Amino acid sequence: MSARIRTSQDLDALGAAGAATLYPDRLKILIGAASCGLAAGAAEVEAAAIQAVKELKLDAVVARTGCIGFCQREPLVDVVQPGGPRLSFGNMTAANVRKLLKGYAETGQLPAEMALCRFQSEQNVPQGQTHTYAVGANGAGKVPEWTALDFYSQQHRVILRNCGSISPLSLAEAVARGAYRGALRALTQMTPEGVVKELLGAGLRGRGGAGFPTGRKWDFARRRQADEKFMICNADEGDPGAFMDRSIMEGDPHAVLEGLIIGAHTIGSHRAFIYVRSEYPLAVSTMRHAIAQAQAHGLLGKDIFGTGFDLTVEIRKGAGAFVCGEETALIASLESRSGEPRSRPPYPANSGLWGKPTVINNVKTLSSVGAIMARGAAWYAGCGSEGNRGTTVFSLVGAVKNTGLVEVPLGITLKEMIYRIGGGAATHRPIKAVQTGGPSGGCIPASMLDLPVDYEKLAAAGSMMGSGGMIVIDSGTCMVDLARFFLTFTAEESCGKCAPCREGTKHMLRILTRICNGQATPADVGTLEQLAATVKSASLCGLGGTAPNPVLTALRYFRDEFDAHVRDHRCPAGVCRSLTTFVIDAKACIGCGLCKKVCAVKAIAGDAKSPHRIDAKTCTRCGACRSVCPVEAVVPEA
Amino acid sequence: MITHNSQSPLSADDGSAAPCGSVLVCGAGIAGIQASLDLSAAGFHVYLVEQSPTIGGMMAQLDKTFPTGDCATCTISPKLVACMRDLNIDVMPMADVVKLDGQAGNFKAQVQIRPRSVDAHKCTGCGDCVDLCPVRNVPGTVEAFKPSMPPTTVQADVLADSLLRHGEDSSSLIPVLQDISENCGYLPRAVLETLSSRIDVPLAEILRVTSFYNSFTLEPVGRHIVEVCLGTACFVRGSGMLLERLAEAVGVAPEGGTDKDMRFTLRTVRCIGCCALAPAMRIDGVTFGKMKLDKVADILERFE
Repeated sequence: MSARIRTSQDLDALGAAGAATLYPDRLKILIGAASCGLAAGAAEVEAAAIQAVKELKLDAVVARTGCIGFCQREPLVDVVQPGGPRLSFGNMTAANVRKLLKGYAETGQLPAEMALCRFQSEQNVPQGQTHTYAVGANGAGKVPEWTALDFYSQQHRVILRNCGSISPLSLAEAVARGAYRGALRALTQMTPEGVVKELLGAGLRGRGGAGFPTGRKWDFARRRQADEKFMICNADEGDPGAFMDRSIMEGDPHAVLEGLIIGAHTIGSHRAFIYVRSEYPLAVSTMRHAIAQAQAHGLLGKDIFGTGFDLTVEIRKGAGAFVCGEETALIASLESRSGEPRSRPPYPANSGLWGKPTVINNVKTLSSVGAIMARGAAWYAGCGSEGNRGTTVFSLVGAVKNTGLVEVPLGITLKEMIYRIGGGAATHRPIKAVQTGGPSGGCIPASMLDLPVDYEKLAAAGSMMGSGGMIVIDSGTCMVDLARFFLTFTAEESCGKCAPCREGTKHMLRILTRICNGQATPADVGTLEQLAATVKSASLCGLGGTAPNPVLTALRYFRDEFDAHVRDHRCPAGVCRSLTTFVIDAKACIGCGLCKKVCAVKAIAGDAKSPHRIDAKTCTRCGACRSVCPVEAVVPEA
Repeated sequence: MITHNSQSPLSADDGSAAPCGSVLVCGAGIAGIQASLDLSAAGFHVYLVEQSPTIGGMMAQLDKTFPTGDCATCTISPKLVACMRDLNIDVMPMADVVKLDGQAGNFKAQVQIRPRSVDAHKCTGCGDCVDLCPVRNVPGTVEAFKPSMPPTTVQADVLADSLLRHGEDSSSLIPVLQDISENCGYLPRAVLETLSSRIDVPLAEILRVTSFYNSFTLEPVGRHIVEVCLGTACFVRGSGMLLERLAEAVGVAPEGGTDKDMRFTLRTVRCIGCCALAPAMRIDGVTFGKMKLDKVADILERFE
């Protein structure tokens, strides 16, 4: 099996072996077991499925796959019946999966009515081929096709092309879905100049957030003469609220390796690193496994594709510092120093790791490269908008009905993202803002949701694309408190090297805390604005340069909330404790007793089925009662 | 030749109780130098006694000074020159105060100047004698760092194994620290000291790296690690409340810590990437998504 791969025929042969396990001629039970699936209980579901297969003596295979993105419905189990479509079942439990398989053993049919959606066909994106399943009988045809679900309707999967379909531990299955075709073409049929030209033609921009054209970055490093160059994959996904890089590494590790091979060959590097957060243990082990497989097949190591090109890939784990996502800090960390950024220029493409030319690319960027090389620039540039070509992945989370990973063409509006894909507000509370770009980005108010999602438009609104976190905020969140949350984060993660960021964020945080506690004066708000402008313009690196964004956008779009805190000593959202008193609306209360049970200080009294009361003196305003109340009867006193 | 008679006591006593006109300053660091200069300007004669061969002390060895980040040399060098030129200041390096009598305003000090066997008035400081000395009397060599305590056998094995895999040089510092952390749960001081001598990185630099990164801890941890995600998605879905409830259940301060039975260590992490299952927490690497406050006690029960 571990024959060296040199030609496209070798890939075909391995792909055929992969197709046999990818589309087997017996029952296949596919468990979505990325970190998110496992957190939702995929391991128990898998164990139950294996047990049931054994007990029912089914001719079936149980396999793990990555995350398909619909995290809201996890654990997800997909079942493919020979001669039928792939049916996807959401919110599975051990009991559910037993029931499902028992039904199949008895009737020979899957209970189509339980299914969430159906996959009639699947794309092999890099090769532009489609695998079509049989239509099947017994109502399977009535299950909605997956692309008909709102959540998937606007999606265009290039980066996530194989996540949730292939086994992340199988090189053969990845190859069956077109992996390494782009690398083969780039290494054997194209010159490095040609690769750069192709990338520039595709219009691929860095998906790490800054949006620098990838082709140009590679070209700088390529032109540089040096005895050694390095290629680095930045998988230090530090932005809280973003998890697509983790999902890609856990679901389709070979896409990342393919990007690294093409990049390293283009710039002339023979040593590549993947810098992964230590908080992602599954991503680390999956990537390690993929590297070993690729080495065994000659896709890494000496003489790749018989071209004489050598490349080794090493994994380095981060040690828990947000600032290490900044490229110069990342380099410092790789050199085993404390991760402090330095001023640029020189840019890493000129002088990076150990002073050598170094290219650092985000996971999503590298995952796109393989497909672009296989399909060509024109195909990739065919989606997206002018200057913002292609697709990117967002993690749509927060107060929406459908949370998960979505891959969309650039230029789609926020409204479509939130109301169509996300399905609108999760509770009866209205959506008031959307936060993009993590602690470096800002909040965009609900009134501006017609804004198209691209690098320039988001920046103009005071936010940024960032690494793709999209957190939807409803009226239950206080914008001042949220700004304080982000500032707490950046003040803690500031490395302390430059004074504007180290001191500025701390003082801004102090002012925001005073506002949240109702101790601020109107002058404080002015000082806050002034400080924010100074930190933004005077900081050394991106962390400080963008840290004031959450505060500035909150001030720009939600000034009234600041005024309410400072002038009226009132928190409109009922979040800031010193400014809030909780009461139970006697009319709405159904007397279920949930709040009484959850209260840590026993401040709630009341008999079953009659309205409860909160003792304001004992109450610590933790808000636990409010979060459990099924009828929203716990409200902040007006 | 010795310029001062090393045996003769320097007297600052004229027999009266009134303050006399000369002052003895012990230690020619930046503080001693500045004091001498100020006293000289005020009209006192100063004896500046320093035990090492040079004046300037620690500050002359520093690059920058806290908290302003000013260049240390730029601050101290003019003072060194001023001090040497000042006719009111008698600089006495390689000297020790051996005896001190009297009271405030009227002291009698005995200073012993160690022999240097070099005529300081003629020496140009070229350093040739140092190079030629057959017994290598290199002045000012710092002794190699020696660990103050040995690590336990288990810890020593972990360290040896890790150094073997990552290589024994400074660029493997972080991977080695991660191995120690993974195997011991924290970074024991004894291991760090041994590591410092093995890879030739000063202990201070190692401690700087360990305190910079969140995933390193120098304190022993409990049997189970409870990590609450404080990512944005978890925050807007109430992870603050979850943390509070956990702290109460575990019996530690609201910001986290280890309980007295060493059963749980509660700490916060920056996003574990399970945002769609917010609020999330992790115990010993097992993630719990969509946490409800009333589930906390049941889940903790499972970990003894």
